[in-house]
Amino acid sequence: MTIKDLKKTESFNAFMNGLWRDHPIFSLILGICSALAVSNRVENALAMGAGVTFVLLATALIISSLRNLVPMRVRIITYMITIASFVIIVDKFLKAYFPTISESIGPYVGLIITNCIIMGRAEAFYIQNKLGKSVMDALGNGLGYTFTLTVIAVVRELLGFGTILGFTVMPEGFTPWVVMAMAPGAFFVLALFIWISRTITGMESK
Amino acid sequence: MKKLQELLHATARLKLFKPFAAVFETLEGIIFGPTEITAGAPHVVDNIEIKRYMTVAIIALLPSTISGIVFFGWRVLLMIIASYVAGGIVEVAFALIRKREIEEGFLVTGLIFPLILPPTAPIWVVVVGSAVGVFFGKEVFGGTGRNIFNPALVGRLFVTIAFPQIMSASWQKPFSDAITTATPLASYKSAGELTGLMDLLMGSVAGSIGEVFRIGIIAGGIFLMLTKVANWRIPVSYLASVALFSWIGNLIAPDLVAPPLFQLLAGGLLFGAMFMATDPVTSPFNHESKFIFGGLCGLVTVVIRSFSGYTEGVMFSIIFMNALTPLIDHFVLKVKYRTAK
Repeated sequence: MTIKDLKKTESFNAFMNGLWRDHPIFSLILGICSALAVSNRVENALAMGAGVTFVLLATALIISSLRNLVPMRVRIITYMITIASFVIIVDKFLKAYFPTISESIGPYVGLIITNCIIMGRAEAFYIQNKLGKSVMDALGNGLGYTFTLTVIAVVRELLGFGTILGFTVMPEGFTPWVVMAMAPGAFFVLALFIWISRTITGMESK
Repeated sequence: MKKLQELLHATARLKLFKPFAAVFETLEGIIFGPTEITAGAPHVVDNIEIKRYMTVAIIALLPSTISGIVFFGWRVLLMIIASYVAGGIVEVAFALIRKREIEEGFLVTGLIFPLILPPTAPIWVVVVGSAVGVFFGKEVFGGTGRNIFNPALVGRLFVTIAFPQIMSASWQKPFSDAITTATPLASYKSAGELTGLMDLLMGSVAGSIGEVFRIGIIAGGIFLMLTKVANWRIPVSYLASVALFSWIGNLIAPDLVAPPLFQLLAGGLLFGAMFMATDPVTSPFNHESKFIFGGLCGLVTVVIRSFSGYTEGVMFSIIFMNALTPLIDHFVLKVKYRTAK
């Protein structure tokens, strides 16, 4: 299969939609609260991104396979239970293997349950689409979210702490921009990110 | 005001100044606006324009600027240049991208911003603050006249939050090199110590560059109000409300709230009330709302000064009230033009 053929497949389209065209953060402005809260350090952003991607994948897997069995009336509660179970797995996993990260982003892991991206994708996509397509969509959305979080976190950690992934990057005598380590800094960087991404994709002019 | 104009006319008519007639005309144009009545359309009812607004504001800021340079040395001039260059680059970049004229509003912002910084603030802080102020305070909203918050204050607020150590320990007494953390408000907060009113007036205390020489600020402010570039309602209500609330507060809790006269003169209150709260873009346009705006500014200032961790509340109060400006105007209009049902 050549790349040209690949571009025509539905799964690839689903993947690319999540990763770029219908990117949850800069295109749909979903999942902002967690993006603001955990993007102060790169390691937190990576952990959060991985967590969300895992939960998205698992949700896509379960909801998409059960889509013909779940009665429409109880679908929301089905999403909730599925998402909640996997979030708990992520939480326990972080606590066991990465206790420092778990400590710093602790409450926000639990809040993945209410992350609009997962609920939104489940309702908009997984309940209607086949398994393969859903999984690709989950992967695209998860990676898109992780990518955004990491970009924002790189800027914030660089300016707010002078480090990246804990390694000192900035020269001696650098004064940390305290504002970047706090939530207001995230607003500045996120706004710039959305602006730049939308300009690149040409979304603004429409 | 009329008399001043007549005086200017009389001087211009003197033989001695005949060769300088054009200069007087320009001067009159700058201060009072053009007086000629247009013969044909278009008729301009208002004889003021942005350029004149800004020129008058800069003239009013001159005493503070010059006193800043005299008190704290030539470094201040360097800071002003840095502020103009950094903010100017952002301004020009946006003007080019948007294919618009470069707007004059920046002339005042770029001058006010360094004047509200501590005298020993590093040059790169000035650059960052000025650029952020113009960028996030003004340009993202669409440029001069569309901003919600005063751009100079946005820059100041950003550097205050971003570099707290630098900003709280860069004060300096005029004519000395000793760096200190004790501004009059800070020493009141930590030790309950009141600085003499004469020292405050003449500016022999630590403080931001433009805020220490208070006689110059008062003169500049009165000039602004006489030329009607700044509306007198805002500074008057602002200062009156600070006096009122600090008087009441001082009666109830003398340990927390400083007495009114000290509060009026200390810190950036005069500078803020004269030059920043009166910003025509970010303050309300109704006469009644101007009183409300000034009054609430005063209340917030006294509350922050007395009960918060910060020693100075003028910046926060003006930014805070900027956000409420449209709301105040909205409700005042509703009450004012209520139709009988």
